[in-house]
Amino acid sequence: MADRRTTTIDEEVPQTMMTRLPASFKPRPRRVHALEQTAGPGSPARHELTADTLVVGRGSAADLRLDSDDISRTHAQLMRQDDEYTVEDLDSRNGVFLNGLQVHAAVLRDGDQVQLGDVVFTYVEGA
Amino acid sequence: MGFYVRFWGVRGSIPTPGPRTRRYGGNTSCIEMRSDTTVLIFDAGTGLRELGVSLMRNPPRAGLDLHLFLSHPHWDHIQGFPFFGPAYAKSTTLTVYGSEDNENYQLLSGQMSNAYFPVAFKDLSARIVPKAFENDVVQAGDFVVKRFEQKHPGGSSGFRVEHAGRVAVYATDSELDQLLTDPASPQKTPRSIRRLPTSLITAVKKADLLIADAQYTDEEYPQKVGWGHPRANTVVDLAIQAGVRQLALTHHDPMQSDRDVDAKVLTATERAQAIGAELEIFGAREGVTLRLDRP
Repeated sequence: MADRRTTTIDEEVPQTMMTRLPASFKPRPRRVHALEQTAGPGSPARHELTADTLVVGRGSAADLRLDSDDISRTHAQLMRQDDEYTVEDLDSRNGVFLNGLQVHAAVLRDGDQVQLGDVVFTYVEGA
Repeated sequence: MGFYVRFWGVRGSIPTPGPRTRRYGGNTSCIEMRSDTTVLIFDAGTGLRELGVSLMRNPPRAGLDLHLFLSHPHWDHIQGFPFFGPAYAKSTTLTVYGSEDNENYQLLSGQMSNAYFPVAFKDLSARIVPKAFENDVVQAGDFVVKRFEQKHPGGSSGFRVEHAGRVAVYATDSELDQLLTDPASPQKTPRSIRRLPTSLITAVKKADLLIADAQYTDEEYPQKVGWGHPRANTVVDLAIQAGVRQLALTHHDPMQSDRDVDAKVLTATERAQAIGAELEIFGAREGVTLRLDRP
């Protein structure tokens, strides 16, 4: 004769006893990316990107000032969104080049070469 | 009079996210072209979702007025549409261009039948209207868009987009190698330029930017004949014959990593240099915006 014992949900399904995070879990801190200047006046230099928006240029209003005649007063803008930066040309005279290609704007990736006039940066993503 | 082109999806066939494709991107086809007043969208692959997010950040007070052109209705060119935020906004007007029988419109809406997706096309809030080309030409805002036939299973359309004297051509999913005037030339004389039909060269003629399907390398192609995509090197030859200024290789094969795409671009560039052409070649990459109206 079949076992007609009634089972309960508790017996059939393993129950979660308590909610807890794995001991090693912790939210990742915001990464700090950087522009490493490899050519042009002032190189070599490393510029950590801590602001959400910064202007790169020759003028006094620029957040990252570059002392070169090839650079417009407000040459380009870097804008952070979530964990990535976008570079955008601010109608500069000599343009913005991403890995050799003239762009109006580009989301940057680790290792990208960004050139403004005679100034060359490598974009380095933080760990 | 700005003329901007942004790449939102450059992958062929199927979305391919992950570390191998992070730089060029894993979203399927979607290109935005815009002026100061008009927004055109070419293909509704998964890149369309991010474009929708971007458009909804700062919509104009009167609502978005968008123009959508589909190269063809294969999945990788339409599957972003159900996740396109502006389609859910009452203030949006979206014009979908196609043939007189509205086939593209029907197939775009058909993928939102209840078995596939919880929201029905008819329940989208936006005003979505089909519009047919007349003699393969249409005015969309301040752009003129000309359509041309391509070689692809089931057919596909390429688009020549003109604005204030500048020209961009979007030509994906076209197996150029099946249109060669001498189909044996790549094997017989691999270093010689591969000749293409005059009608195709005319469609692409003197483009400032040609965004073209370049899915396969010469080595990959023999296993993919008839799949509807060309050798990248044949695209280079088309661009050279048409006097194109810039060539963006797109519709990257899902098996190609970022390094593979780099290698494909390098090979294509070497081919153009060997032929002696002044042609700038690059790999289409998500998140990059070009400005075509610069001096």
